[in-house]
Amino acid sequence: MNPDDGGNVALRVRGAHKSFGGTVALDRVDLDVRAGEIHALVGGNGSGKSTLLKILAGVLPADEGSLQLGDQTFDLQSFGPRDSRACGLRFVHQQPTVFPNLTVMDNLCVGGSFAVGPAGGIRWRATRANVRDVLARFGIDAAPDDLLGSLSPSKRTMVEIARALQDLKQDGRSVLALDEPTAALPVKEVELLLPMLQRLARDSGQSILFVSHRLDEIVQIAARVTVLRDGRNVTTLESDQVDKATIVQAIVGRPLDTYFPEPVSEHAQARPVLRARGLAGGVVSGLDLEVAAGEVVGLAGPMGSGRSTVLKLIYGAVQMRGGTLELSGKALTVHDPEQAIAAGIGYVPEDRVGHGILPGLSIADNLAIVDARSYWRGHQQRRRELADATEAIRRFGIKASSPAAPMSSLSGGNQQKVVLARWLRRSTRLLLLDEPTQAVDVGARADLWRLIHEASEAGVAVVIASSDPEELAHMCERVLILRNGRVAAELSGPNAVTEDEISRVMMDVEAA
Amino acid sequence: MRTRQGGVRWAYLLEASALPFLLVLLCVFFALLPATSDTFPTMDNLRITIGAQAALTVIAMSALVPLICQEYDFSVGSIAGLSAVFSASVLVGGGSIFVALGLSIGIGLAVGLVNGLLVTRLGVNSVVSTLGTATLIAGVVALKTNGKSIVSGIPDELTDFVSGTWLGIPRGFYVAVIVSLGVWYLLRQTPWGRYLAAIGDNREAARLLGANVKRRVLTAYLITGAVAGAAALLLIGDTGTASPQVGPGYTLPAIAAAFLSVAAIQPGRFNVWGTLVAIIFLGALNSGLNLAGASPYINDFANGGALILGVALASLLGRNRQQRV
Repeated sequence: MNPDDGGNVALRVRGAHKSFGGTVALDRVDLDVRAGEIHALVGGNGSGKSTLLKILAGVLPADEGSLQLGDQTFDLQSFGPRDSRACGLRFVHQQPTVFPNLTVMDNLCVGGSFAVGPAGGIRWRATRANVRDVLARFGIDAAPDDLLGSLSPSKRTMVEIARALQDLKQDGRSVLALDEPTAALPVKEVELLLPMLQRLARDSGQSILFVSHRLDEIVQIAARVTVLRDGRNVTTLESDQVDKATIVQAIVGRPLDTYFPEPVSEHAQARPVLRARGLAGGVVSGLDLEVAAGEVVGLAGPMGSGRSTVLKLIYGAVQMRGGTLELSGKALTVHDPEQAIAAGIGYVPEDRVGHGILPGLSIADNLAIVDARSYWRGHQQRRRELADATEAIRRFGIKASSPAAPMSSLSGGNQQKVVLARWLRRSTRLLLLDEPTQAVDVGARADLWRLIHEASEAGVAVVIASSDPEELAHMCERVLILRNGRVAAELSGPNAVTEDEISRVMMDVEAA
Repeated sequence: MRTRQGGVRWAYLLEASALPFLLVLLCVFFALLPATSDTFPTMDNLRITIGAQAALTVIAMSALVPLICQEYDFSVGSIAGLSAVFSASVLVGGGSIFVALGLSIGIGLAVGLVNGLLVTRLGVNSVVSTLGTATLIAGVVALKTNGKSIVSGIPDELTDFVSGTWLGIPRGFYVAVIVSLGVWYLLRQTPWGRYLAAIGDNREAARLLGANVKRRVLTAYLITGAVAGAAALLLIGDTGTASPQVGPGYTLPAIAAAFLSVAAIQPGRFNVWGTLVAIIFLGALNSGLNLAGASPYINDFANGGALILGVALASLLGRNRQQRV
């Protein structure tokens, strides 16, 4: 599609092709990563990104294609994990694989780089010296004996990267593939990590293949961007073409302006659905919050500011220490989520995989679990449940083979739609959403935003806690900025609730 | 992916019928083996085999309940044994069968409460805590019986009921099936059972979906205790005695059967009817080996092997289920 003649190419993939049964997952994809560049690979869920990464890692054999790294050429049909490692490809995956309770040294050496004496014992002094050397090389400000858990999340990620690369010569011949390294990091940590990656590419000539859903980051650090859609190369953008609008259009295949729903109109005069007074618990203390029917209120603030805790307090997932709650004018006490659900409150947790889904149970089970009692007529009415689930799959645009398919078979974006649909299809009065579109592709993100928007139009009160100013600006009429468990600032009205203004006030608040 | 669905359905059928298929194979094998071809495929042997499994079936059902929420109970056999020695002495003292049943269930509930509180309130690992209670129970039984079995004075009504037949099949087997139906109803047809499965699948998500994890896990242990306690009457009725030694011996075969259920009926999940198939499988295997004149220790190999196989299948099939698209 876009053969690369310019620059010094470190990794060259040609015609990578993979089909499962009759479904083509990857359709003769080409990829060129130049030496010392940060090359972003983007695409929606199901675009073939993951398949390509698996092929590069050698864990999935391709049907056709070749790979060239440095002066070695491989046939992708017989490219195994050993080949991948031997030729200088290294991977750092989205889920952190570090050991928080062990030291930095243990974490770096666990792959086998301990210096060992003749009897098989560890030579601590030599190992420690090695580790100091590695830490210095990768610009990680930490001591070998620090507990990994005491480092900031961005440094932990760098330790993982250092572990993957420590045995390689830094000659631009190796390629580091980062699979959504920032998905689990708060904004502030991302801002620390990205310069470290840039330094790695610029100073050490490390070639990096960077996979991310966060377009801001890509625009900030990527030299070039390869976009996949439906398993095909759409385009490779050169550095002068890398901007958000172009990338989004390439990913979703439609122009940018159709992808944001319009913010909802004013609801200030409507009756409040939720009225929280002096809310306290966890890091939160003395917080007031009112949300009207049909209103979308955002909660912003740095990590530890209490934005997630506010939602958990209202939902009964964290015990309240003080304060009162009123739902539609009636006093509400919640000791556990069961009572909150009974009162018509829905909650979408930040950690979808860990807290949101029942991976081994079916989609129908995942939808019906909060309504198990209403499907009980002396027995579980499974036929009615399956019919309702089929209807929900259609109504909420969930891509699934059948309502009986296990939840784990869905892509991340579709899992999140199920998690949201669970609440939207029952009579929910108040919807509490924690990072509702984290780590989903832009297409699914637009769908989720539309679903939330439709719910608020129908009169549901919505609270969104998010670390993403763009999301808050597009979804909310009013944004509260929290600091140390209290409201530090409030923005309301279309002129104040903008991405720039939210970011600016957040920085002010953090600096204060 | 959609195109692979046909293949997935076949794999599902294959896994669902793996154990039933092995059972058929096993029966054909012993029916043809010269050493057992006269004795194995007979009504008498079927009656004995199935009849002897009644208590084990009920104990296996009790062990199945906590497995659904990813907890273990290694005291189920001990609970049945404990209830057996106490209710046998009530029966010998002239108490009615219903009083004995009430006492058996009561003792089971009490042990279940202890297990449940240890697991949910103190957060003790359930394998360790139930092994602990099983050992404590052994001490209580020894104290009560001085190590001696109760061999006389068990009312004939009980032994006659359990060993008698309806339509040529031992009554104990009907009791076991009725208990299985009850456990199936609880696990599959009530909101309680669905929440229990959700807890087993992802505990934190289940908590956030209103599953009240501690209360439900505690209830699971209470049900386990009650069912295992009730099995005591089948133990007494089957042999006409109450021995201080027999109870604990049921624990591992019961858990083995519950684990093997992942290879039958509802593949990849612990399930009631799969457990029943596994028990008949284990019964046929042991009966065939005995009739073939194998030394008794062979049965230990069979039961131990079945437990390991069951655990291996449980993790293997469970993993496949998650990965399959």
